[in-house]
Amino acid sequence: MKLYDQIFDVVKQFRKLFSPGPVTNADVSGSITAEIFLIVSLVLSAILLRHVNVLLAGLVTLIVAILLISNIPLIPKFKIEQEDSLEKMIFYAVLVLALLVTFMYWGGNLV
Amino acid sequence: MNELIPLMVIVPLMAALLISAFSKLNKVTKIFAFVVAICLPLIPLLSNYGLHYFGGYEPMLDNVTGIMYHPAITYSFTFLQQIIICAVGLLTFLVIFIYLTKYKKVSGPYLFLLFLGTAAVTAMILTDDIFHMFVFFEILALAQVGIVAASSIDFSYEMALKYMILGSIGSPIMLLGIGFLLALTGSVNVTDIALAVHTGLIDATSPVFLLSLALIFFGWLYASGLPPFHTIKSGIYSKAEPHGAALLQSFTVVSMISIVIIMFRIYSSLPIFEVLVVFFSILAMILGVSLALTQTDFRRMIGFLAVGELGFIGLGIGLGTNFSITAGLFQALNEIIITALLFIGFGAVVHATNEVDTRKLGGILAYHPKVSIMLLIGGLAMAGVPPLSGFQSKLMLVQASLSCGFPEISILAIMVSIATFVVFVKTYYTMFLKPKPNDLDLEGKEVPKSMVFAMGVLLIIIILLGIFPDVVTSGISNFVGGIL
Repeated sequence: MKLYDQIFDVVKQFRKLFSPGPVTNADVSGSITAEIFLIVSLVLSAILLRHVNVLLAGLVTLIVAILLISNIPLIPKFKIEQEDSLEKMIFYAVLVLALLVTFMYWGGNLV
Repeated sequence: MNELIPLMVIVPLMAALLISAFSKLNKVTKIFAFVVAICLPLIPLLSNYGLHYFGGYEPMLDNVTGIMYHPAITYSFTFLQQIIICAVGLLTFLVIFIYLTKYKKVSGPYLFLLFLGTAAVTAMILTDDIFHMFVFFEILALAQVGIVAASSIDFSYEMALKYMILGSIGSPIMLLGIGFLLALTGSVNVTDIALAVHTGLIDATSPVFLLSLALIFFGWLYASGLPPFHTIKSGIYSKAEPHGAALLQSFTVVSMISIVIIMFRIYSSLPIFEVLVVFFSILAMILGVSLALTQTDFRRMIGFLAVGELGFIGLGIGLGTNFSITAGLFQALNEIIITALLFIGFGAVVHATNEVDTRKLGGILAYHPKVSIMLLIGGLAMAGVPPLSGFQSKLMLVQASLSCGFPEISILAIMVSIATFVVFVKTYYTMFLKPKPNDLDLEGKEVPKSMVFAMGVLLIIIILLGIFPDVVTSGISNFVGGIL
């Protein structure tokens, strides 16, 4: 019942996602689809790690699945992080650049 | 007629400058812009395949090492360039046609930006010189900023400025990467650099070489709007005039494939390159479609979908086989056409309703059946419904990832296609099928005929490419065979 309540709570939280303005059935069903799509696709992507190590893939997939499901709703959080704020855009751009350079310079030969 | 190869860049570039200089002569500007726009898709069709050496400096043979060096800026024109330049030229013509018929008094600077952008992407796809590519990449970024800033949509200036600020991070980083490559190889010619890498003259495992990949790759992410730049890319699409957005997305696709082909030729010996391309492509697909599902502004929704579709292109390139790269490049061509149709179609809806919030729309099908049906087919093509062009390229990508031993990617690609379908069905129902809200006035508001004409032309191409994909894929496959 806890998971059911959590999912029900997700639908209620979507109301904030579409404010200001009315929340239609289509919007809520679209957001629930996005929520499920996000979880399934990230878990599926984690399975790709089996090309590195099967045990690692199993472990990471399990952790990702538990983390994602226990943190629903994800879409409002995702949307807040990906709004049109210049600060957030620059933050993520610089973060990706730093990770890319660090990983390539010291670890590019490992793959 | 190899002389026509440089004209593909020179004609739109000169047209841009002349239109800007004589923009006060409204009628002359209109006629001149129209004539040049017609020429754009015709020049690549008339030109022969081959190479063009600027300044006439032919390649030189080093008698000691037996290596051929390319001192001139070289343009390489093959089937891929022909089909892509022709598609962008046709789209530029349709966009300029819509613009010229929409406004009585045309803006010279706006036409200047449209032609400048077309010239820049044409040069990027033709060039075999990485620094030349960077120069036009910068020109393209400025043209894109200008096209967004020149639109009459609220907050377009702000979005254009943000894009420019992010560009001030992406572009210098890419230039730095090119500088490292120049320092390592002493050349900016891609063929020379690739030869030096593949013959072992350069240590491909050296940290500096790897760093150059990281820096150029980051610039590529900015150019193509893959994460972390997906938000700004979808933002600029939504803040540009609909016909401008149609052209902007084609610029993005062409710059994406131009840079990634160059990177592929140089870095394909490094497995990390393909891993990076696949990683960011999957991220773009997931983020683009998830965010599109939650949008209520349909322009933003199409913007996010366009970003998600870019992931399919990257996926094809990242898998690295002849078949997958062919599929990726075919997907690029399809995306240019399909997304343009959607932007123009939804632009027609904005024109008729002056509304972008899907919650305030409804019942448009009864008032604008032609636009509605064409948009429906365009949406189905984007979702990969047979027998349309999107289906063919996505099927190829699914087959390619299966044959490469990545069934997870195939499942993911199918899931993204289904989610795209959901996005489109949801939006289509809300805008076209559900009862019209009482406060929405649709009586007597016509959609410009030029927009319907443009959609019709693009729709014919989508259907033809869906039924006869071999016309394009066999030529692309030959091109890919040459670079592998």
